[in-house]
Amino acid sequence: MRALEVSHLSVNFGERNVLSDLSFSLAPGEIASLLGPSGCGKTTLLRAIAGLLQPSAGTIRLGTQLVGLSSVVLPAHKRQTGYVPQQGALFPHLNVARNIAFGLDKKTFSKQEISEITQEMLALIGMSGYESQMPTELSGGQQTRVALARALAVKPKMILLDEPFSALDAELRNELRTDVVALLRAQGTTAILVTHDREEALVSSDKVVLMRDGKIAQMGTPEEVYESPISPSIAVSTGDALVLDAQKFSNGSISYAISPSNAGQTPSESGFVVIRPEEISIKKAGTTGVAATLIQLDYYGHDAMLVLKIANDEKLIRARISGAIDFKVGDIVSIEHQGPVRFFAKM
Amino acid sequence: MPLKTADRASAAPLHIVKGRGSSLSALNAAVGVVLAITLIPFIYIAFRAFEKPLPEILDLLLRAKTLQVLATTTALLLIVVAVNIFIGTLMAAGLHFIRLPKAHLFILPTILPLAIPSYVFTYTWLALIPSLSGLFAAAFILILTTMPYMLLAILVSLRRIDSSLIEVARTLGLSRFKIFIRVILPQIRSSISAGALLSGLYVLSDFGAVSLLNVETLTVSIQNMFKASYDRSAASVISILLILASVVFIAFNERLKDSDNKENISKRLMAKNIRINNPGLKTSLLFSVALYTTLAVVLPIYVLISRFIGNPNPIDFAQLFETAVSTISVAALGAFIALLMSAPLGLLLSTRAGKYSRLAERIILVGHALPGVIIGLGLVSLGSKLGPLYQSTLLLAFAYALLFLAKAVASMTSALQLVPSTLKEVAATLGKSKSKVTTSVVFPIALPSIGLGTLLVFLTAMKELPATLMLRPTGMDTLATQIWSYASINRFNDAAPYALLLVLIAAIPTFLLSAPRNPSEKVEISQ
Repeated sequence: MRALEVSHLSVNFGERNVLSDLSFSLAPGEIASLLGPSGCGKTTLLRAIAGLLQPSAGTIRLGTQLVGLSSVVLPAHKRQTGYVPQQGALFPHLNVARNIAFGLDKKTFSKQEISEITQEMLALIGMSGYESQMPTELSGGQQTRVALARALAVKPKMILLDEPFSALDAELRNELRTDVVALLRAQGTTAILVTHDREEALVSSDKVVLMRDGKIAQMGTPEEVYESPISPSIAVSTGDALVLDAQKFSNGSISYAISPSNAGQTPSESGFVVIRPEEISIKKAGTTGVAATLIQLDYYGHDAMLVLKIANDEKLIRARISGAIDFKVGDIVSIEHQGPVRFFAKM
Repeated sequence: MPLKTADRASAAPLHIVKGRGSSLSALNAAVGVVLAITLIPFIYIAFRAFEKPLPEILDLLLRAKTLQVLATTTALLLIVVAVNIFIGTLMAAGLHFIRLPKAHLFILPTILPLAIPSYVFTYTWLALIPSLSGLFAAAFILILTTMPYMLLAILVSLRRIDSSLIEVARTLGLSRFKIFIRVILPQIRSSISAGALLSGLYVLSDFGAVSLLNVETLTVSIQNMFKASYDRSAASVISILLILASVVFIAFNERLKDSDNKENISKRLMAKNIRINNPGLKTSLLFSVALYTTLAVVLPIYVLISRFIGNPNPIDFAQLFETAVSTISVAALGAFIALLMSAPLGLLLSTRAGKYSRLAERIILVGHALPGVIIGLGLVSLGSKLGPLYQSTLLLAFAYALLFLAKAVASMTSALQLVPSTLKEVAATLGKSKSKVTTSVVFPIALPSIGLGTLLVFLTAMKELPATLMLRPTGMDTLATQIWSYASINRFNDAAPYALLLVLIAAIPTFLLSAPRNPSEKVEISQ
């Protein structure tokens, strides 16, 4: 059984086509990231799943239940999808405990149960003792935690997170993201995380859904989408990538700036090669590889980004290295590509 | 209907399409009923006016007297609005930007005149200068009366200006004056226009000040015709002229208004306020606040108290108490009816403002422009058709509700709009139905602002004079009518206790209004 199945979903805003013919599914407990530039339809897809807007075509199934069809729609309040919008959106007139208990129906739960669930949730997010604080008294990270607890308290079929960490600073963001993902995994909750942060998408999910212009461009495990992008532009959207002109020969060998091969044959196909900066190794001049001049060195601490220029080649090569750096700007070095050769024919 | 809506805007928020279709049409129907009720008096006035043959109507409209009255009204309107815009903008900007210790203590006295209706102003100034009369005297009094509307409107929008914009402008090398013209003025233009609208409409509908000062405006003409001849057809014809004048003024004001949309207004409050610490500016601000406060608060209150104490006749406390109770109860009833009537349109406008709801809002705004004298005339003209309602407290309260419905709708809408849509969406995903969301999220958050709005309506209703004079049940007096009847026969001493009491009661909501932080702002902070 699938926790979520979206098939052939389209959403139009008036004349404008925001999502078109989009299909994907999630297994129970799976965490997916929707990654894409702003305006690609990530949030729209999330809102359609939550039942906050009406699709024009296609179906959405939560578990076995059909919840969204262009003509038949289960309204948001009957879908049991938890929704955590940007910056949490806590109810300003209710304290933390009441915010968390907001979705717990008094007809279904006794006072005792509601209080137990609230306490359990507070413990889960590490905020026991905060029950009577008002939202304005909380920090941004705490607000997001409470918003998550509020969504989890009702034991939703799945959780939808719409860039919940975007307003936080980097350190808190990483910490909170790690906590939230661990929490979702511990609870076995199926979740979708909307983000435009590529590292966030890779590190927190089982499945990355790359979106472009209202369509799914590529979908797969983080390794798949990072290692085997289906196009140069998709490669760029999951991490730094170097796109170099390349020639493919009839014997199958591929020639590009870092790895020139003169097989003496005529190239059968021209195209591009996509290289990740960490796949380039740099050695002292004279060893195997292509000679290049180091023209810029950006030191980040945990690693460094080197910009190199191969003689007679316009394109600058960026390489990421970690560990000690024995080079300085102006040095001539040897560079080599050690990784899969991802060739894309020119359209 | 649901399917049709779905086709047209398929990504419309869901509640429109499903599950809420019925409650939406119920809301639409409720708005329709409110509109119909609002329109009845005007339709009746139109009927009455056209009872006269057309040549006679034209004769009445084009005779020298009518044209003269129209010219007087226009002149008064233009003087008051122009002076208000100029002084009000400068004073509000000064109060906001110039560094003063306990700044809100300086704002309070400039807002306080809200509690004093024009006829009380006139009466206190007449007690000081008995020869006061004519167009300029009326303009002076009406400027004193309406300045707080201007100040309040501008101060509220000044508080919303993001201080970083000013900082950016400063780093870009703009002088203070240029910052004011290029950064601040464009952002407060709409509220200047709103303030101009409020004070202009006050002038058009004012009856007390102008009639005590022997200035014949359209409103006075209508009241005189109604009273002297009971010629309701003639009064109705002039009423139509007054309605037209109001509509022209609103339309003109609309053109002034900036087409800013609320989405763009920065929600950030000024975290650290930018304050000017220039001694010259500070002195001129303090001087103008002192001058205005003296003219509009200190002198009138001084006159009221001295007349109250110096009154040789014993005060009839029983009657005073009875009058106060009936004033408060009829005004409260009116505010309550207005609250009920404003809820459907407020809900409609705040969730999904369509053509229909916008049109309804316009109509109700025009209704607000219509002076009390017209609502009074309309309801009086219905007269016998109303059966036992005629000359009842309920009818008077209903007249108040109609008169101040636009105020109620505006405050209801803005209060409901303060509730961010993500909160409603989160509530929906937590299993709350649309109506549950309204009761458990929207109304609790909006309640303080709605309460404040209702209080405003109550305050305004308490001071209402022309409609009260026409519609009050026989034998019933309000504080306003008592002040009016004593002041119009120069019995200033006898009017004093009523005026003092009215000002005291009306000052309470004014204090609340000028409080530096109102609850609606608190909601914004958390966003």
